[in-house]
Amino acid sequence: MSLFNNKLLGIFICIFYLQPAFAGDPDYNVSTIPAALKEKAHAVKRTEELIINVSSPSEQRVIHRFAITVLDAGGDEYARVIESYDKFRSIRSISGTLYGADGKQIKRLKQSDVEDLSGVGSSLMTDDRIKKHSFHYTVYPYTVEYEIEVKISNTFYLEGWIPQEGEEFGVEKSKLVVTVPLDFPLRFQSFHYKGEPVITTDKDSHTYTWDAKDITPLPDENYVPAWHRRTTSVLLAPASYEMQHYKGSMNTWEELSRSMYALNQGRDQLPDAVKQTVHQLTDGLSREEKITKLYHYVQEHTHYVSVQLGIGGWQTFDANYVATNGYGDCKALSNFTCSLLKEAGIPAYCVLVNSGKEQITFEEEFPSNQFDHMIACVPGEKDTTWLECTSQYLPAGYLSSFTNNRPVLLLTEKGSKLVHTPVYTMEQNLQLRNITATVNENGDLQLSANTHFTCLQQDYLQGMLHVLTREKQLEALKHDLPLASYDVNKFECKELPGCLPAIDELLEINARNYASISGKRMFITPNLLNKSIKRLDQTSARQSEILKRSSFIDADTVKIIVPAGYTAETVPAAVNLQSDFGTYSCSTTITGNVVTYIRNISMKSGLYPAASYPMLETFYAAIDKADRARVVLVKN
Amino acid sequence: MHLLFGCLLTFTAFSQDKDKFKFGKIDPKDFEKTKFELDTSAHAVVLADIGSSEFESERDHLEIRVKRTRRVKIVDKNGYDAATVEIYLSKNAQEEEKMISLKASSYNLENGKVVETKMESKSVFTDELSKNLIEKKFTLPAVKEGTIIEYTYTYSSPFYFHLEPWAFQGEYPRLWSEYSVTIPEFYDFIFLRQGYIPFEINGARQSDRRTYSLSYTPNGGAGRTEYTSISANTTTHRWAAKDVPALKEQAFTTTLNNHIAKVEFQLAAKRYPNSPIEPVMTTWPKLYETLMKDDEFGAALDKNNGYMGDVVESLTKDCTTDTAKARKIYNYVRQNFSCTEHSRLFMDKSLKTVFTSHNGSEADINLLLVAMLRKANLEANPVILSTRQHGITYEMYPLINKFNYTIASVNTQTGTYFMDASLSYLGFNKLDSRCYNGHARIISPAIPAVMFEADSLVEKKSTYVMLMGDSGVIKGSFQQRPSYFESCAIREKIKEKGKDEYFKPLAKEFGMETTISNGVIEDLDDHEVPVKLSYDFVMKPEADGILYINPMFMEAQRDNPFKSEERFYPVEMQNTYDETYTLNMTIPEGYEVDELPKPAIVQFNENDGVFQYLVQKSENQIQLRSRVKLNKATFAPAEYNSLRDFFDMIVKKQSEQIVLKKTK
Repeated sequence: MSLFNNKLLGIFICIFYLQPAFAGDPDYNVSTIPAALKEKAHAVKRTEELIINVSSPSEQRVIHRFAITVLDAGGDEYARVIESYDKFRSIRSISGTLYGADGKQIKRLKQSDVEDLSGVGSSLMTDDRIKKHSFHYTVYPYTVEYEIEVKISNTFYLEGWIPQEGEEFGVEKSKLVVTVPLDFPLRFQSFHYKGEPVITTDKDSHTYTWDAKDITPLPDENYVPAWHRRTTSVLLAPASYEMQHYKGSMNTWEELSRSMYALNQGRDQLPDAVKQTVHQLTDGLSREEKITKLYHYVQEHTHYVSVQLGIGGWQTFDANYVATNGYGDCKALSNFTCSLLKEAGIPAYCVLVNSGKEQITFEEEFPSNQFDHMIACVPGEKDTTWLECTSQYLPAGYLSSFTNNRPVLLLTEKGSKLVHTPVYTMEQNLQLRNITATVNENGDLQLSANTHFTCLQQDYLQGMLHVLTREKQLEALKHDLPLASYDVNKFECKELPGCLPAIDELLEINARNYASISGKRMFITPNLLNKSIKRLDQTSARQSEILKRSSFIDADTVKIIVPAGYTAETVPAAVNLQSDFGTYSCSTTITGNVVTYIRNISMKSGLYPAASYPMLETFYAAIDKADRARVVLVKN
Repeated sequence: MHLLFGCLLTFTAFSQDKDKFKFGKIDPKDFEKTKFELDTSAHAVVLADIGSSEFESERDHLEIRVKRTRRVKIVDKNGYDAATVEIYLSKNAQEEEKMISLKASSYNLENGKVVETKMESKSVFTDELSKNLIEKKFTLPAVKEGTIIEYTYTYSSPFYFHLEPWAFQGEYPRLWSEYSVTIPEFYDFIFLRQGYIPFEINGARQSDRRTYSLSYTPNGGAGRTEYTSISANTTTHRWAAKDVPALKEQAFTTTLNNHIAKVEFQLAAKRYPNSPIEPVMTTWPKLYETLMKDDEFGAALDKNNGYMGDVVESLTKDCTTDTAKARKIYNYVRQNFSCTEHSRLFMDKSLKTVFTSHNGSEADINLLLVAMLRKANLEANPVILSTRQHGITYEMYPLINKFNYTIASVNTQTGTYFMDASLSYLGFNKLDSRCYNGHARIISPAIPAVMFEADSLVEKKSTYVMLMGDSGVIKGSFQQRPSYFESCAIREKIKEKGKDEYFKPLAKEFGMETTISNGVIEDLDDHEVPVKLSYDFVMKPEADGILYINPMFMEAQRDNPFKSEERFYPVEMQNTYDETYTLNMTIPEGYEVDELPKPAIVQFNENDGVFQYLVQKSENQIQLRSRVKLNKATFAPAEYNSLRDFFDMIVKKQSEQIVLKKTK
């Protein structure tokens, strides 16, 4: 092993490339797959080696060899290769072979079949390109074997290892081998991995090996945490890295904060004209007024356009670029906003965020690059103001469900710990609705609904009001409501901005045949508009923890005037539900020709044990049933 | 649909309009609100969009110079997308379209003055999307609400046979949209115009003379190449439309492209000096010849293709009829070849490569199918068509670029059959609804037209449900032949999720607490017929004396599919319907009927459709039958309201309840 230096490694790889990817004759006969791995799986990974060779803080080579057997059409997605590349990441080689069910080779990958495509997507410009390959085979089962070699000219990001690629996916064996120089401490965190990696050392390097065997498929479940928390996985990170000429470290969040600050330092120079504008706008104002004023200035004078070139998309375009063009990506706009605030004498910081509504599970104990977005933060003595600089319409200080309630990293000269973005509580996320409605003899219903939405419950409507034309808003309303056939007669909204924003909505609707009439009977579901909770599909024993992200309160009061001359035959009984996940109650009463329906629901967020799933099922099923309950009236 | 062949002579003084929109001349007046900002909620308004295509000499050959100047007012933040511009340039191995000049500026009104911000040239990005397509991309600087942006560009194209089409209508309303083409006498183009809006200038012609230098081979390629400078007549054709509203896509549309106002061109003939006329767009029979000689289409079909001999032989050796042979070969190709790309029309690789690699585009696979059928001595031919999303084809004009899809056909003693082996769920003689787009052509010597009309595609579905009471619960059995395309979807779902997963969610669809058992799917593997579903179910009613039952359960039409109040262009459904639902119910012991839905029969537009809803009771039996039948798939905007009402009626009747009461 002492000969295993870089030079020889190169030769070694060369030989490897000419040989079949795995030494010896691979046996991909499908009959040898253990039954437990095949059952409920669309694909089974037969073998895998992810080999990461770090030769210096500024260079790593990644060799990925794997063989996957696709059992049915649902597994096709695992049998293709999509590799991105850019200035920091080059694809050295891709080779592959296709095997039939009996394990006999059918054909080999031809380089001319590898597609080379732009990876720019919806951005204006990035350096990204993509190489793509598939054998497009449809005689099941079949096996593909690939070997991909990539060279990356930094160690800022080290690929993680997640052998199981999806729920209905089994793994026979998989291995992660990371070789690093002696002076390159490798940091890692593992999940669902028993024991420690095997570490061997030679003259120049340490080698860490993890391996996994016989991972059985998982059921497809809802309300789940991030995938890496549900299966065997290892996250990797460097202690220190190099990206072009920038050196950095991430042993602690403070170090990463400092390093990323340094990468973007000195990019806050504003043109003189803009400096003057800042003073014209803000001199003499209070701190809060200054922040609001400048945030509005950013919203009016700039907009989001994704241009990500240069250092892996991690270094921002400078403030001058944004001032000149009036656009930039999240980094450029956050940096620009901070520059304006600084000019007005208010310290502000760029903040790295792991964005998105769903399934965020952030590893706070593992300082590493887990980010994909940037916002700005203005720390205050009493309260901190958060600014989403890519939004054209969010009020200053409000973060939507895209960035709220999660740990984020402030970039500061001295380094910062993780801080938490605002949590909007159940009592702050409201939907309070009051409906008066009239049903006529034909069953047609006219309703007028006044609704007060706040915080996260107003996000959707707020987005719709600002992003869609009036025509498109009405078009969306024509599809959104749980009514069979209806027209919207009136739709008016009043926004009440603030760091806890709210919207008052007035909706007038004409729903044809809402009440179903069969002879002398009339059937009316008094829950007119709030039926979003559905029964969950029956599942086998729940395996994953339950992650409920949203917490909210809905309160509905509905009064329905029915035609004279009807008497109640069936009135749904009042329902009161208590559960770990929240509470629900509804009641229906009839006085004269007025049906009064009151519904209250409060839903809690949180991470619950898998064992609570039956309780969630029961809770949802009971709500679903209560929401669909009908009043039956009979004509006298 | 208006389709204009040639042009009308109109004499409009359009030159003044052109001057009005000179690049860079922005007046404070231009920032005033236009009628579109006042009347609608447009996020951006195109103030002017002016383009031209002219033939010019480039050294020794002719090129097309394409110019476009566009001025757009960004009304609000949601119009910022209009400030990002994408220009696509084509290329092939030898030649490419080249950007010659590109300028762009933003204009803002500040204190009554127009302030210009020029875009820097380095803000223009080039992205190579594929081997044959380059994208030039830029976003204008200094864009705010109310900004006017303007850009102008010129590029040259060596592809003289392709004259840029022009759309007068789009996502944003346009105050003025104008296009002119200047064509020398060497080329005959036909013009195809469509849309529902009036034109201000409608193909006005202006004649001129111009000197061109070109090299060409006289006498149809028989002579020596000559280089000459020649004065030729040119004709400029001009179209312009004013105050064009945006056209938005609604549900049930083939493609908005069939409906927007636009003009397109097709090279019909070349008339080089001292040469006979060289027809380019010729006749259907000549198109047949060209296609059959083309290496990327029919050239390999009649070769010996010996490599496929063994496979064809082993597939057909036990078949006694031609139809059986065709079916066997079709099913082999369908099941063993995977389609990597649709809508290619021409082959991407050689027939042999397709045969050995087991994959290819829809054209690759279906042309291979034709070759294999011919190898079995069957009379098989390719068929070309345009999918619904790709737009219509013209029966009058043999325009190959209007087609985008190749399928196969075979003639046997029992008839003509059409096949598309690229979609593995389709049975023999079945096509996907996307292919039902009217006119298509069979590529045989007579090149006959064949019509695939959505009106002729009937999606038939029948359902039979039996119900009876049994000690406090209601037991039932459900049997159904879903429509053909529904069956295809079910097959695909089962392929992915398995049979159990298919039946599991159905229990939720019943109103009461329900369990499902004995789920069976028949004819899962016979792709020529719909599947047959059956299962038993048990419903637990609430124990309060009255039973309310929706007799159609989840088969009831719950929503009206026609959501919009208005329709601006025809409703184009994919197929017609004929759905029958029958219920036989034995009244549970101890119960009596308190209420039954009332029967009804509704005719739609006399013969265009019918809805029958029949209910009968005899002794302890209730029989109910519902039938929805639509005989047409396409409806004019004027018929929209009655179509919407017809569906309202169906939703209403199918939600009615059977009410049973405990006998006293």
